[in-house]
Amino acid sequence: MAETAVSIDRSVALGTWVVIPVFNEAVVIARVVRELREVFPNVVCVDDGSGDGSWEAVRAATPHALRHLVNRGQGAALQTGTAYALRRGAERIAHFDADGQHRVEDLARMVRCVADGDCDIALGDRFGGDVTRVPAGRRLLLRCAVAFHRVASGIALNDVHNGLRVLSRPAAERIELTADRMAHASEIIDLIARSGLRVRQVPVTIDYTDYSRAKGQHWTGGFRIMFHYLVGRALG
Amino acid sequence: MTAFQIFLIAALAAVGVTLVALALRGAIGRVAALLWLAVVSAGIVFAVAPNLTTVIARAIGISRGTDLLLYLLVLVVLYGFLAIYLKLRRVRRELTLLVRELAIREASAGRGEPRGEVEPRGEVEPRGDREPGGGRTP
Repeated sequence: MAETAVSIDRSVALGTWVVIPVFNEAVVIARVVRELREVFPNVVCVDDGSGDGSWEAVRAATPHALRHLVNRGQGAALQTGTAYALRRGAERIAHFDADGQHRVEDLARMVRCVADGDCDIALGDRFGGDVTRVPAGRRLLLRCAVAFHRVASGIALNDVHNGLRVLSRPAAERIELTADRMAHASEIIDLIARSGLRVRQVPVTIDYTDYSRAKGQHWTGGFRIMFHYLVGRALG
Repeated sequence: MTAFQIFLIAALAAVGVTLVALALRGAIGRVAALLWLAVVSAGIVFAVAPNLTTVIARAIGISRGTDLLLYLLVLVVLYGFLAIYLKLRRVRRELTLLVRELAIREASAGRGEPRGEVEPRGEVEPRGDREPGGGRTP
């Protein structure tokens, strides 16, 4: 990886706490955390009840290793890591995927956006650059999700289920995820739309590997997420 | 009286006795017990005089008593599912908050920091159905 290309102010890097939800990622998590920590020393891994040795890998990789004793879902893990980082004085919270699909240099650009005060929340946008890198099936599914949110949340975004996000401390304090499973990505868009926080979409590259695609959502999962999201909205 | 009527009456009576026993032990509330007893009593009345359901059904424009029971059953089952689903949602939410707090405390304790130094930001809000006295068992 091109970590030499990543330049970021030391104090900005230290104030940024990167939260990684981990569920059965023992194969890749150590490398992902190592590359991140070369730039961002404060990496919080939340092992969401993995059964494959992820916990041991996570504990060896970062001093900020948290464990859900019972699997609660990705949204719950993100909120746990965020709550922990906020209690430890984080100035910014970053969300990062455990499977190695995100790039540290993309994260650094997004962190700078928030740190410079250009926005309160930076969202990764995989459609902001070279769209051909996104597999066709994925593209269709995500475009549907985008169209759905234009109606459901009344907010026009390019990419609505991207795991790469950076939130300022005030934004992270205001946005509390209650959708424990994958619908958190939809929930966060609603919360952003209602909060009036300033959002910026930053073009990022997703590295689709066989591993990340195998771990990713099947298209039927989109309907499950939509169902959970709608039920959550209907019931509050 | 048919054998099935006798069976039905006996079964309903057993439920009634259980309800009374539970209510006396304080396992269920008195109001709830009375409501359930009313349902059980109605069941016994209808078991003794099945034609009564048809009389009631006719009075409200339904031709058969069994249809009336079916409609009522549908309503009760739907309501039951919804109530259980909502309850389950709340329990799942509370489980998440609990698991979260444990995870954060475990990680903080590992570094030798005093436990509970951080206030729980009002995440665990008190709920109406909690026992008085902080939910502790007497």
